[in-house]
Amino acid sequence: MWSVSRALPVVVLALAIASIVVLVVDGVGASPSLIASIHIGGFGEVDYYASQPMPNVPPGLLVRVYLINGSGVKPVNAFIDVYANAPSGIVHVAMGYSSSLTVPFNNTNWQYAINKWASLGIPFSGYNTSMLVFITYVKGNESWIVPLLIPYNVGWVYRALGKSTPSAATPRYIVVNAYINVNELRPNKVVPVKLNGTVTDPQVFGTYNGYTVYNCSLSGPQPPNIYTSYVFQPTSTCLGFNGSLPIAWATWSNGAIQSDSGLLIDLSIYFSGTINWDAMAAGYGDIGTSYSANENWGPQSAEFILGSQVTQPGSLYWYYENATWAIVNYEVYEVWYVDVPIMYYVGTTTVSEVLYVPPNDYYAATFDYGNGPISMFYNGAITLSQQYFGYPALNASTVVDYAAFEYTPYGEELWECNGPVGNTSTVFGGVQYTLYTVTLGSVNTAYGLSSAELGTELGGLAFDVLVEVATEGEATPLIKFLNNVGSAIFDIAGLLIPPSTSTTVTETSLGINFTTGTNLYISVINASAVYGLPTFGFILNATNFYGIPSSFTCKYNQWVQIG
Amino acid sequence: MAVRLLFWFYAGFVFASFASSLWLLLSSVLTVMPIPLPYWLLYTPGNIVTAGIIVAALMLALYTYLGVALVLSKLLRGLVPIIMVIAFTIGLALLLAKLAIPALAALIIAYLMLIGTYSVLISIATTRASKALWATATIILTLIPLILMAGGLAVMNYVKYMALVEQAMAIMASAVEAWRLGVEQ
Repeated sequence: MWSVSRALPVVVLALAIASIVVLVVDGVGASPSLIASIHIGGFGEVDYYASQPMPNVPPGLLVRVYLINGSGVKPVNAFIDVYANAPSGIVHVAMGYSSSLTVPFNNTNWQYAINKWASLGIPFSGYNTSMLVFITYVKGNESWIVPLLIPYNVGWVYRALGKSTPSAATPRYIVVNAYINVNELRPNKVVPVKLNGTVTDPQVFGTYNGYTVYNCSLSGPQPPNIYTSYVFQPTSTCLGFNGSLPIAWATWSNGAIQSDSGLLIDLSIYFSGTINWDAMAAGYGDIGTSYSANENWGPQSAEFILGSQVTQPGSLYWYYENATWAIVNYEVYEVWYVDVPIMYYVGTTTVSEVLYVPPNDYYAATFDYGNGPISMFYNGAITLSQQYFGYPALNASTVVDYAAFEYTPYGEELWECNGPVGNTSTVFGGVQYTLYTVTLGSVNTAYGLSSAELGTELGGLAFDVLVEVATEGEATPLIKFLNNVGSAIFDIAGLLIPPSTSTTVTETSLGINFTTGTNLYISVINASAVYGLPTFGFILNATNFYGIPSSFTCKYNQWVQIG
Repeated sequence: MAVRLLFWFYAGFVFASFASSLWLLLSSVLTVMPIPLPYWLLYTPGNIVTAGIIVAALMLALYTYLGVALVLSKLLRGLVPIIMVIAFTIGLALLLAKLAIPALAALIIAYLMLIGTYSVLISIATTRASKALWATATIILTLIPLILMAGGLAVMNYVKYMALVEQAMAIMASAVEAWRLGVEQ
């Protein structure tokens, strides 16, 4: 009778038992199970795994990088940079140089973005958001960049962290496999970046009350328009604050208090429609809309009497709350379209931009006697803008309109230089006043407000550029995918910001009731050109216009004798 | 009957099952762990399909081997696994050629022949235990399509558990047979 060695059947039996154990482990869901997968062109793959909690493996995102060279696929070290999209911008979450990078859900910066989403109060099941992953593989003086967009749901994070009821079908681990395909992707030339030796103290805003100073890479800028010949990509060096941003203000000097006691001042605003906050780059000007929101203001007016209600130099301003404004360093690339877009690194620039403004925010007028944003404009920001932009933010060149009431030997005269002066009447404190109003024309014209354009595309623009370069301009499944996901995000943004098809804004004016003897020089400042804020100020001086301009145009027919 | 030939079928069946289930477990666990992994060990849809194709090819080879061994032993029922393999191969080829309806017909025949193959395995089993295990596996195999047709995707989870039990039964039956043929005869 034939018989094989006893060892073999024993091995077979042992393997059978082991197989059944493994099957049971798998069957009861103790091992991770793949519940969804997204293929991103030839650039990567996102796999979502449901699983029981595994020891020493916190739930979250895991990015792996593989190099495809010839027919081989192997893990390779690369720069892995992970950002989370937040309702108001991009949050930098993690970075590493490795073949894999783990970002647990409880990462502090990720949690910051998660909390921002949660604070919107929209049910998590109603939308997905996403992470942005940039992989940069460098070899010699060439680099390959692969951007990936990783959709996820905030509810998954809550469940994985035990903040809400767990569910068997919820992804606990999101694994991203990024492919650097050097056979197909065209490399970029590596340009060494020269570090700037002058480091600015980011605490510069810290001396102002009520503002939170932070490194604004935590909030992140909105990349501007792709369709310019320049491409601006934000770097992490920036600073900014959350707080009140002024939309219109009036500032009076000590001279005005002394010379014009008893003067009634009325600062009015009337604004309804979409405001675009543009990003302003030093040396490049307006580089595109940074943020948009629908706002409804007024008509409202704030009135006070110089000398009795206000007795010291200061400002009155209308503001919106909880806005985020930042000064951001960008890298600038020039784009040439020769069949395919080619990007050349041309340097860095400093950009001032609004990152977030609550839609239809509560609005109010208040005074600033040295601790508000107007003081910051004058004191902090002038120094700061000198440092960052190379010229002071507010100077004679930012004055757009002039008007003066002068008491001359011939009586009281009104000079209108650049800007319409009208008159109206108001009742204040039971007294009827006739006001001369300096109207900042149409804000629309002054600021160049465009029709509704949602500003929270969440980083899609810089992203698209990279994709286009990576794919040599051809429409790939990745682009289609990004477009789809992008439009989904767009929809979410649409929930937050009611779309508006027209701008019906209108005016910002300052009313003055002149009395005989009034000596007042009114300068209208447009700070928008520097800060990207549609913010306008009226500066009241007793002896000259703001900035003491050497010339201003007052045409012959633009002065009238009054009084 | 060629005991030696059948022993290798059962041993092969257990080995293939072990290798595939071990790959599934290892790759699924390691994939979510923050350690560098060779690409083939990633638990991705592409790799799962590749693993599935390799296991299917191994199993088809084993069933062919079983059929040939039985026919050589003058047992014509060995034709059942051979027909199953042929039908399955034709079904897959038609599926690749995007001829869905003929492919479905071929695959249904292959599935029926698989049930037939399990019956053949019952008939040649040498112990009561393995007969019972194969029989249970055969019953589950027969019930799965019926339950799926009746309940649709809603019962997918139950079907998954049934398939798991069926697999476990088949593996244990093969192990018992291998033990019997290898040690006791």
